[in-house]
Amino acid sequence: MSRVAGAGGAETGGGRTAAARDVDATIGMTILLGAWVMLFAALFLAYGVVRVQANEWPPFGAPRLPRGVPALNTLLLIASSLLLRRGLARARGGGASSVATAAAAAALLGAGFLGAQLAVWRVMLARGLFPSSGVYGSVFFALTGFHALHVLGGVVAISVLAVQAARARRRGRAPLRALRLTALYWDFVAIVWVAMYLAVYWL
Amino acid sequence: MPADETAGGAGDEASGDGDADPADESQQAPRGWWRRYVFSTDHKTIAKQFLFLGLGFLAVGGFLAMLIRWQLANPGAPFPLVGKLLYGSSGGVISPAAYTALFTMHGTIMIFFAITPILIGAFGNFCIPLLIGARDMVFPRLNLLSFWSMFLSTAILTASFFVPLGAPQAGWTAYPTLSTAIGTPGLGQTLWTVAIYFNGASSIMGAVNYITTVIRLRAPGMGYFQMPLTVWGFWLTSILNALFVPVLAAGMVLLFFDRVFGTQFFIAGTAIRGGGDPILYQHLFWLFGHPEVYILILPAWGIVSDLLSFFARKPAFGYRVTVWSMIAVVVLSSLVYGHHMFVTGMSPMLGESFMLLTMIISVPAVVLFFNWLGTIWRGAMRTTPPMLFALGLVFTFAIGGLTGLFLADIEADVYLHDTYFVVGHFHLIMAAAVLLAAFAGIHYWFPKMFGRMMNGPLGKLHFWLTILPLNVVFCGQLLIGYAGMQRRLYDPSAYEFLRPLLELNRGISHAAFLLGAAQLIFVVNFFWSLARGRKAEPNPWQVGTLEWTVPSPPPHHNFDRIPIVRQGPHELGNPRVIEALGRDWLAQDEEMP
Repeated sequence: MSRVAGAGGAETGGGRTAAARDVDATIGMTILLGAWVMLFAALFLAYGVVRVQANEWPPFGAPRLPRGVPALNTLLLIASSLLLRRGLARARGGGASSVATAAAAAALLGAGFLGAQLAVWRVMLARGLFPSSGVYGSVFFALTGFHALHVLGGVVAISVLAVQAARARRRGRAPLRALRLTALYWDFVAIVWVAMYLAVYWL
Repeated sequence: MPADETAGGAGDEASGDGDADPADESQQAPRGWWRRYVFSTDHKTIAKQFLFLGLGFLAVGGFLAMLIRWQLANPGAPFPLVGKLLYGSSGGVISPAAYTALFTMHGTIMIFFAITPILIGAFGNFCIPLLIGARDMVFPRLNLLSFWSMFLSTAILTASFFVPLGAPQAGWTAYPTLSTAIGTPGLGQTLWTVAIYFNGASSIMGAVNYITTVIRLRAPGMGYFQMPLTVWGFWLTSILNALFVPVLAAGMVLLFFDRVFGTQFFIAGTAIRGGGDPILYQHLFWLFGHPEVYILILPAWGIVSDLLSFFARKPAFGYRVTVWSMIAVVVLSSLVYGHHMFVTGMSPMLGESFMLLTMIISVPAVVLFFNWLGTIWRGAMRTTPPMLFALGLVFTFAIGGLTGLFLADIEADVYLHDTYFVVGHFHLIMAAAVLLAAFAGIHYWFPKMFGRMMNGPLGKLHFWLTILPLNVVFCGQLLIGYAGMQRRLYDPSAYEFLRPLLELNRGISHAAFLLGAAQLIFVVNFFWSLARGRKAEPNPWQVGTLEWTVPSPPPHHNFDRIPIVRQGPHELGNPRVIEALGRDWLAQDEEMP
């Protein structure tokens, strides 16, 4: 015998409210990001394993990684994340028109991050550190490269949504749910980067 | 690449509608052939797509197994009939390199491209919304993406057969140094890593969808403990999928980088230079790989726990205990992977811990097993094909599970590791138990999926001609493994001490050929029933779960009205119901008389 309440948002009519679908989407995105946390955790584990087995780190003769530019880059990504959050918070308060501007700015900062990261890679290649030059180069290029792919995905998604939001300004229906989900993803990318920056550039 | 998937998924779910929700798109059937049959968002159509894809690859993987068994029975003899077609340059003889590719692809296809799409893709998709009283998955478009990611993955894997230097040859586990660019040069193995990556992406998307659907779309009145055990199986599997497939994905990313960009994660260094660690790959692989065993068996457990109750006409014995046992297995499964690595020079203390945890996992497994026995104990058994296959699982799971205890023990494992004993053990679970559950599920849900019944007598014939040779094959493998024959040997007769085993190997092979041939009965039954089978009533098995309260096949929107759940899933044989209604079952949305 069951007297337990039904699951969230399910109604006998079958139609579901927008609010219920917002909750669905947030739960789904959270699970997806949980999975992605495991992916990056496994990469960090791999780094840890080769690191504890190394005789010295960085290996003798390997060029040192810069710390200044990546630090700036970290700030860039955090700023981008906060900007998107602020735009969304305003949209909730009724200022839906500014969300397009916020998203465009966030995408621009993300693109800036990619440009700076590209410059760091080029400098390291010029100094003689390659993906194929031992585990040190492997860790540096694989981890930052794989993360950069995620930044690229985020920049593309946010740009598309910014354009959609700008177009919606006239018709009045911004893609808010998609932006909220992307903001979650974008926070995740920034948090992973902070951990990666500390682990790869400082430890 | 991964970044785009994530972002795509995010954009996908909500592209367009921000706040107002236009009439649920899942309620209107789409028009047009492409939208309806190819790029469909209907969970029932996607389930069928997964089913056909999985069955197709099951046939391919099965045929590869026949080739392997041929070589072991008649080392160096040309394969009859199609041998010249496949291996023309060697006159039909399977070469050592070809043999290596064979067992690599057999394992890969069966695990990732047959069992995964059939059990999780097809049944998961078909059952979850129907059994919990929902109109569709919560994210229909993500569901579509999940299937097409799987399809892309199969295309890449198939392509790897046809590239220079041939198919991957590093075994289904792809251990470095075998799988590095030095061990297996050529594009084939690289394509393999990409294929597994997209396969994993498909699994993760499916898992996100399944978990959220069960949390959000259960019909009113259906608490977690009113869900059919089938749904529990899929739900727990999805949780493991979401947590551990990404770890495999990380391994694939690093392996891909090692092969393509020359990174050295899995390439051992010298004492002076330092370097990567081949064993690291094994950690990443088995961190995923052991949960994977349960990812595949949990849906089978769920389905069988339900079917035994339905066809014994009794409520499932110890429903809650079964659920908690499955949950215990899920938790423990993530802590035992080290038992695959006892011989890698692992610290003995770590080894002992893994041994202990592995042995502990048999406690919930045995509880589950005895609950099954309790369910059928003095039941009014209906030995339909689904029930026979379910009972077959109970039998093979018992042998397969018991042999696992030998391998969990470090001392025994040091001897048995990498022998055919291991092969026999995991085939009894993966190939026997899981496959039997798949057949049980197909016979059971076929009427609901396609609106026609499968042929019963043919199904029973198929069952007996499957279960008997199947046990000969896999128990035979236990024997030759115990006698010391290593797995993956091209020609065991090259070793003096394995020569006496040739006759036994032949016997196993002949049983395997019989097993392979018996599957043709299933093929005939499946397609014949699809076209000509007897029209199915809404509830041919007379059970009470929600999918049987709607027509066969269900309409596009599944339920005209979302049902209100009032009963558990196994309301069978209740005297009050029999007295009042003259039947021995009560649907989940009916009031107790």
